[in-house]
Amino acid sequence: MEQLFYYLKVSWFSVKRAPLPYMLTVLILSLGLGVFFSNATFYYRMNSDPLPDKSDKLFFPMMMLVPYQCSDCKPPSVLSYSNVAKLAASDIPSAKAAMYSADGYLRQHAAQPPTPVTVRITQRDFFSMFDVPLLHGSIWADNQARDELLLSKATAEKILGRTDVVGQQLLLDDRLFTIIGVLDDWQMLPKLYDAYNRQYLNPAEDVYLPLESGYDYNYLSNTNSSTYDDADYRKLATDGRTKAIHQLQYWVQLDTPAQQQAYRQFMANLVTDEKAAGRHPSPEANQLVMLRDIVRYFGGESADIKAFAIVTLLFLLVSVFNASHLSLNRYLSNQYEFSLRRALGANRSQLQMQLLVDMSLMSTFTLAGAAIIAYGCTKLMNSLWPANRLFASWDVQLMLALAVLTLFCSYLVTLYPSLRASFGSLNKQLKE
Amino acid sequence: MITLTNLGKIFRTELIETHALRDVNLQVNEGEFAALTGPSGSGKSTLLNILGTLESFDSGDYQLDGKSVKGLSDAALSKLRNEKIGFIFQSFNLIKDFSIYDNIELPLRYRGLNTAARKQRIEQALELVGLHARRDYLPGQLSGGQQQRVAIARAIAGEPRILLADEPTGNLDSLMARQVMELLEQINRQGCTILMVTHDPDQARRAGRNIQIIDGQLHDSTLYDPLAQHTA
Repeated sequence: MEQLFYYLKVSWFSVKRAPLPYMLTVLILSLGLGVFFSNATFYYRMNSDPLPDKSDKLFFPMMMLVPYQCSDCKPPSVLSYSNVAKLAASDIPSAKAAMYSADGYLRQHAAQPPTPVTVRITQRDFFSMFDVPLLHGSIWADNQARDELLLSKATAEKILGRTDVVGQQLLLDDRLFTIIGVLDDWQMLPKLYDAYNRQYLNPAEDVYLPLESGYDYNYLSNTNSSTYDDADYRKLATDGRTKAIHQLQYWVQLDTPAQQQAYRQFMANLVTDEKAAGRHPSPEANQLVMLRDIVRYFGGESADIKAFAIVTLLFLLVSVFNASHLSLNRYLSNQYEFSLRRALGANRSQLQMQLLVDMSLMSTFTLAGAAIIAYGCTKLMNSLWPANRLFASWDVQLMLALAVLTLFCSYLVTLYPSLRASFGSLNKQLKE
Repeated sequence: MITLTNLGKIFRTELIETHALRDVNLQVNEGEFAALTGPSGSGKSTLLNILGTLESFDSGDYQLDGKSVKGLSDAALSKLRNEKIGFIFQSFNLIKDFSIYDNIELPLRYRGLNTAARKQRIEQALELVGLHARRDYLPGQLSGGQQQRVAIARAIAGEPRILLADEPTGNLDSLMARQVMELLEQINRQGCTILMVTHDPDQARRAGRNIQIIDGQLHDSTLYDPLAQHTA
């Protein structure tokens, strides 16, 4: 330990000898790391698996159950109510839920100004399939229509000032609903159950309403809906269950490969039946997409985010190269001292140990600088693209990754200079 | 103690080869005080560097205490330098932002001595060179002569058996040079073998032996009687 402090002291003296080049080295490296890290944070969050235990068990089935013929079309990502009913007829999945999202206004009583909210209109299995935690109350007993809703924790606090509000009533678009449950803090990142149209970047919804009630009360989809023949998407309450209004996303949980195979077969059989009934004019194009593949399937991966990630990586490489150059100059100016230490009996291992401590000191300064710059960049990104703010949060794992990356880059920056210093000629330096 | 047999050193560039040392044969016994003299560029410093294992040689052999240093690893050479050899340089080679105490401590650090053992040796070395009161000074706060005494203290703190001095008085005025020489003689009297490069004939005479190098070859080895010189 005493030797470690000695090495730290030697490094500190070396810093004091030429503080400006040292600060410049640290600044350049911090800048490269900070910019890279702020972008990497976003990239990491966007590509992370929000349900690692389930992401290979949740599937999004899609079929060409549309009243038109297309030989090379991908099946639509949204289904009609009747199509969902056909897919839901199978007992193979251990859980299944249809859903869509809508907008609404929430308030305690008619005298209160309404608060705009996002509403997920879904079925009871949604909560267990996507591991939605419940803070108070319960979820719906079945999938029937009912005037009961669940609130997110933040919405309960915002509208009612507290979370223990089960049994209270609220006005959702002037219709009275009873609160039966309040969710705990929950933010599925990315929100893969709603991957179409890059909705997965958005936060989780404020209010959860039964699917049947959503249809009964004519809650129109705020994202994607397609209608065919004489169907009118605005008449959800009347035409929604019978006509070709496609707006439902449908998820099933298939826990085993056998279940998955069986469900594929079920879908194939369904196509045969539908073709026989004249409701499937197109060739079979069934899809059963895994949760973890859903963004890629919908082509939701952003090319500009990828390009930006590459640019920041290149910027980091340039920073490392520049910092390495500055570091080399610093070590060469200290070559005399290295030679002296070697002449007086330090072997290369001892010198390398000294340089390792020197590198650690630089890493510490760089890590602090990089964290500050990354924080600033993240704030800037959040202000420029507020919709992405959810993806800019840090955790211990990410901070550790930054520390490891900083250590690695600092090592790269000092590796060549330190080797030059260790293997330099002794006699030349000492004669001068 | 030191035996050089047909030792040769060549400096090569793309165009020319320079024989810095050719077929050098030398025997230095324990306790000797030898001066290495010769014109500039004759190979004195090269020989001293090879003796201090700061530089390699191309042919022949160098034996220290009966063991060849040829082929020794970096760690073994470093250990040998640290434990057996002390260096005194013309330009002192002190680290300017380290205190006198820290400068003297440098070789002891790499020997793995504990704090108390290091302190004891540093105190003794400082006493010998008469700078105990200035242990916390920085080198820049001392005169040239005092700085060279610090360098001597650093060289002897590790209690080496050989002291290699490369023009130790080259940067000093005559009074300070004399003080340094007296100090070296005192150290030699305590049993330390000293090899000193010098251009000064008087200093060469004060050493017990004068080894002359001309064009990389040993030309003469004259033994002086230092006592006679002192008397004169």
